[in-house]
Amino acid sequence: MTDKLALVWPEIWLFVTTCVVMVVGLSPDLRVRKLCGWISALGLVVAIGAAVPVAHAGGLFPSITPYAKGMIGVVGLMLLPLLAGTVDRDLDAAIESGKATFSALRSNRAEFYAFFLFSLTGLMLTASADDLIWLFLALELTSLPTYIMVTISTRGTRSQEAGVKYFFLGALGAAIFLYGFALIYGATGTTDLAEIAAAFRAQSEAGGLNTIGVAGLAVALIGLCFKIAAVPMHMYAADVYQGAASGVSAMLAFVPKTAGFLAIIMLCGAVGWTHGATHDSLPAPIYILLWVIAAATMFTGNLLAIRQSSVKRILAYSSVAHSGYMLVGVIAGPGSGHGTFWDNGIAAVLFYLLTYGVTNVGTFAVLASIQKPNGEEADDIADIRGLHGTRPHLAGAMLLCVLSLLGMPPLLGFFGKVGLFTSAISAGEIPLVIVLGLNSAIAAFYYLRIARAAYLEPADEHVETRAGPIPQRVFAAVLSASAVVLLLTVAQMLMERSVTASGYHAPHAGMADTPHEALDLTRADD
Amino acid sequence: MTLADTDLHSYLPILILFFAAAGFAVANIVLTFLIGPRRDGARKSVSYESGMNPVGTARKRFNVRFYLIAMVFLVFDVEVVFLYPWATTFGNLDPQSSHAGLWLFRILFFLLTTVVAYLYGYRKGVFRFD
Amino acid sequence: MGVSMTTIMDAILSAAVAQHGGEAAHAAVAASHGVTGPLWIGLIPLLPLLGVVLVTLLACFNEKSKMPAWISVGLLAVSFLLTLFAYLGWNGHDAIHLKLWDWIGLSWGDLRGQTLAAGFAFYFDGLSLLWMLFVTGLACLIGLYASEYMEHDAGLGYCRFFAAFNLFVFSMSCLVMGDNLLMLFLGWEGVGLCSYLLIGYFYKKKSAVDAGMKAFVVNRIGDLGLLMGMLLTFTTFGTLQYDALFNQIHTGLTAGGTPLSQTWQVWAIPLLLMGGAFGKSAQLFFYVWLPDAMEGPTPVSALIHAATMVTAGVYLVARMMPLYLADPAHIALTAVTWGGAITAFWSATIAVAQFDIKRIMGYSTISQLGYMFAGLGVLATTGGVFHVFTHAFFKATLFLSCGAVMHGFAGQLDMRKLSGLWSINGFRVVVIAMLIGCLNLSGFPFTGGYFSKDMIIAEAFVTPDSVIAGSSWAGWLLLLTAGMTAYYTFRVFFRVFVGPVVYEPGEDLHAHDDHEHADAHGHGHGHDDAHDHAAEHFHPHGPKWAINLVLTLLSVGCILSAGLYFLGDHHGWAGGMVHASSAVVDTHAVEGGEEALLFGQPPHEIMFYISAVFGFGGILLAAWFHGPKGIAGLLIGGRTTAAEVRMDPIAKALRPISTWAVRKWYVDEFYHLVLVTPLKIFAHLFHWFDKLIVDGLVNFFGATPRVSSDAIGESTQTGVLHDYALRMVAGIAVVLVVVVLVLF
Repeated sequence: MTDKLALVWPEIWLFVTTCVVMVVGLSPDLRVRKLCGWISALGLVVAIGAAVPVAHAGGLFPSITPYAKGMIGVVGLMLLPLLAGTVDRDLDAAIESGKATFSALRSNRAEFYAFFLFSLTGLMLTASADDLIWLFLALELTSLPTYIMVTISTRGTRSQEAGVKYFFLGALGAAIFLYGFALIYGATGTTDLAEIAAAFRAQSEAGGLNTIGVAGLAVALIGLCFKIAAVPMHMYAADVYQGAASGVSAMLAFVPKTAGFLAIIMLCGAVGWTHGATHDSLPAPIYILLWVIAAATMFTGNLLAIRQSSVKRILAYSSVAHSGYMLVGVIAGPGSGHGTFWDNGIAAVLFYLLTYGVTNVGTFAVLASIQKPNGEEADDIADIRGLHGTRPHLAGAMLLCVLSLLGMPPLLGFFGKVGLFTSAISAGEIPLVIVLGLNSAIAAFYYLRIARAAYLEPADEHVETRAGPIPQRVFAAVLSASAVVLLLTVAQMLMERSVTASGYHAPHAGMADTPHEALDLTRADD
Repeated sequence: MTLADTDLHSYLPILILFFAAAGFAVANIVLTFLIGPRRDGARKSVSYESGMNPVGTARKRFNVRFYLIAMVFLVFDVEVVFLYPWATTFGNLDPQSSHAGLWLFRILFFLLTTVVAYLYGYRKGVFRFD
Repeated sequence: MGVSMTTIMDAILSAAVAQHGGEAAHAAVAASHGVTGPLWIGLIPLLPLLGVVLVTLLACFNEKSKMPAWISVGLLAVSFLLTLFAYLGWNGHDAIHLKLWDWIGLSWGDLRGQTLAAGFAFYFDGLSLLWMLFVTGLACLIGLYASEYMEHDAGLGYCRFFAAFNLFVFSMSCLVMGDNLLMLFLGWEGVGLCSYLLIGYFYKKKSAVDAGMKAFVVNRIGDLGLLMGMLLTFTTFGTLQYDALFNQIHTGLTAGGTPLSQTWQVWAIPLLLMGGAFGKSAQLFFYVWLPDAMEGPTPVSALIHAATMVTAGVYLVARMMPLYLADPAHIALTAVTWGGAITAFWSATIAVAQFDIKRIMGYSTISQLGYMFAGLGVLATTGGVFHVFTHAFFKATLFLSCGAVMHGFAGQLDMRKLSGLWSINGFRVVVIAMLIGCLNLSGFPFTGGYFSKDMIIAEAFVTPDSVIAGSSWAGWLLLLTAGMTAYYTFRVFFRVFVGPVVYEPGEDLHAHDDHEHADAHGHGHGHDDAHDHAAEHFHPHGPKWAINLVLTLLSVGCILSAGLYFLGDHHGWAGGMVHASSAVVDTHAVEGGEEALLFGQPPHEIMFYISAVFGFGGILLAAWFHGPKGIAGLLIGGRTTAAEVRMDPIAKALRPISTWAVRKWYVDEFYHLVLVTPLKIFAHLFHWFDKLIVDGLVNFFGATPRVSSDAIGESTQTGVLHDYALRMVAGIAVVLVVVVLVLF
């Protein structure tokens, strides 16, 4: 028990910060209320600091926690300036001009920041989960706050509609993967992931996996597709991303997706990549399931993105497509385990999550930094036409970010994608690599369309835009764009970290009897 | 394990509790009937005296504070649910164990979160009826 | 754990820089005898490169003064002085090596020939020192000349000019000083680029742009030969480094151990290299680009297209002489001899009929380059190299004199519209410089040109026909050409520089060599009126101090170059330099002691008289046909106007031959018909293929995602919550059914 507590210090600090923010955010003094963002940032910094010394945990991926928590903290810090001023702007303005008095019930600031931190807490907990129940609770802690954040992110009805859709469909997804978890429990008699893995291994060595268990895994994975917005659970993405404020959309593209992938990696790790008939791969039903989902997700996301005219919808579908790319890494698996970044699909996914998270902030931040006359954030592609002429730094950030998302060398996204490609090739997944390559080419269509609108096309005369009122968002955009370039200098270090993080402790049948010995062995190995 | 092996004596407190509860309920009704004053009338005979009218549309708006208070109530209700098992096991902890402080700290931390919830509700104005 | 970024980048570039590749190259250098030079030798090419940077920076700051010129001249002067020091400090026989850094190191195996290594290294022997001396020296002087000549373009154009000028000197230095064929290739392409940039300097003038393009394209064809020759050299000998290469050739075996004389490469490589050399030096089929290149500013014509760059081909052949001698049948040398001799004669026939004085000088350059190649071909490497040296001086003098005329007469170059410069104020220095240049070019006795040309022609007679087929016939052809050269040279001198004063300004009335004005002329009647009006008030202006100083120095250089013939033990100074280089030819060994005689005399002695006769004959003919009355026409001339001469009726009588000669034998038109037109037809065919088939395919692939996107549509994206829920559940069902179907 004690070592589990040692694992979650980042979450504890984040939770304490959340408690403080929740109370401070309701102060009648505006200056005190405005401290929320800074306190959140401080909490995230402390959480990152606490994540660094986190030792190897037990379980199937003993080293994943420090990497994942560090990544979550960093991207969270980048999201913070983008989320600044999302709520309460009108209220604060009214109070400052003396038209209204502060009403705690009408203010949303405390909840907004608190829920943001709650969601990140849940995400970090997902990273350290070693038990199905823990995993489920962590996933729900990640998702529930986001439903509310979507709803309160703008004052318009669209975000309320988006929130309701997201909530109900999210509940459906949660129910599905919870059902899967229940089936897994039924098949293995335990909720501990390492023990589940040992039980599956024992079944496999005894003549075949339990059908109930495989069905449970399949259902759970499909349910988790909701979190990563993969086919067939991708429906909500475009509507919700478009309805929410840009900052929240950026968060949705990173936080639930990361949670989903961490959970998927853990579930796949529970059944292992060593069941395949011809090479190291997942058991056939799971393999086929993920294969079909990956291919369908890539094509659906990219093809639907082409015909959008709203940048947010494009980015939503591109987020769908990126989930498809990363599923390729999951299918490829951790390789021999002693290999390099280039043949380790899990390391590729972990690195890709980081590059995607970092890059994704920039695209949404550019949109959030432009305001239309009615006070809404930019959304339509017409809103960013001729951006190069009016706001060159934003256009530059947009260009760098979309090129990185596209995987243009030598930007960060390129190295993320190369990892997915090479790991899939070394796993022998040539058809999937072809699909991946084809989709990367299709993706160029809409990414370059954004870049072209910003750089080559003249501004539409009837579309009026002006600089947004929140300078922090421009900072977020520039920060993200520079990260796309500057992180290259430490890319090698990040890749090595992701390889360490992906260290997979393959289950063996004997583990069920002596799970603790197995954990100790893990430590000795590393 | 068969029914014969079951030590039925261990269920005796439950039986006593059952009778006590039933007796308490019956006693209250009987006592009210015996000593309560009687002023019958139309208003007196509705299902929820001083409460909502049970007849009419169900899609009626009512004050959001009902829900807020209900949620605060839930927080504390659930808190008690957690406190019971802690309280029963804490007594069994080995007094020499080094974990004692940790156990205490944990429940205190948990109580602190409920205090935060209370503080939040207070600052949000949940308890203000104006 | 984890492969470094470097590794992936390496994998992407598929260029693993192998450590032992560099070591192998180092070992090769160490094995050869030679001395390591001081580091400052590296400054010789790098100073002009610094000049490029500085001048470009000045352009960025929109500098309007002559600062770019002074920077360039200063740096080039230092470069020249360093070369001079290097020469003075040289021990006279060993090559100086200096490796700055490993430039290319590719290795794909441990065997010989599986490592391609090239250092950014310099190689100074007699040949490269001789070349570098005149390249840097002339570049410095011509830079000074250009500071005045280009002054009308002060500003961005001035900066552009000097940046390209400096870049040219850098490239030429790499070409000459390089320690391997790859460095030579780097410089080779670099000078080609600079040549292109500078010919097209007046980029608003279509003819200049076309000329630049022509030069570039024609050179590309030759460069293909050079590149193939280089690649074959590598595959045959396993190295591109000079010392290692010559050592290998010296063994008489290829890298694989086959005797050289039994391979086809032994004649193919020299022939391919000759192709490259002929392209760069405008020989045989490739000469057409050089006359057009005169569209560039005159300093460029003088430096690049007369004195230095066009001699790069000569340098290549001289440098690779061991390779040429390795072929016992001397196929490539014979080709070089005849290519040079025929070009010399051919372009002389064109030069006699031209009226544009700068073009005449252009054709004479081609002709003289022909002499140099013929010299190399008949084993007179000393003569050929000495002729390069003297030619560099007198041709630069001639061009710069023509440039001064052009500068003073608003771009006028037509000899029919200019006469009597001697009597026009301010042109005395030009006329004297021109006279000295003309005497050299026509091979007047005791001039530098006389000695160097004699060495070539005499050697043609010395070398037996059994060694170089038809060597003596080539000698007769060269002698005849010598007479024609004297004739066309003095045709220019007698018509333009002496006689009655007649002049008509050229088209660049307002600003000389100014592209904007050059562009404007010839358009619109109204402008022509203004032009005529301005012409009435035209006064030629003589050159100022910079041009005069440069012309004086060069004239002195021309005169002094004759003295070099008497220096040293090996047929003059140049002979000594060649003797200490790879270009040295042991004629005795090659010719087997057999030495042909001419009129029963040793050709080297009798040639002094024969060529003097041809030279005098040409000058006298020119005087009779074109000279003015009086002493300036050697008392036999009869010209009284600028346009009419005694030659005119003869030219009329010789029609259509004379017309053809004026039209340059219609070679350009022939090339256009035979090469350009079919290529254009192919281009159109390919264009349509590209547009219909290739683009069609691309568009098809581009349209596919779009169409399929529309097909999927957003029919699934209704925005209705329960639709979404239903479709999600249906989707799950479909996915699970697919899984089950695939499994069972």
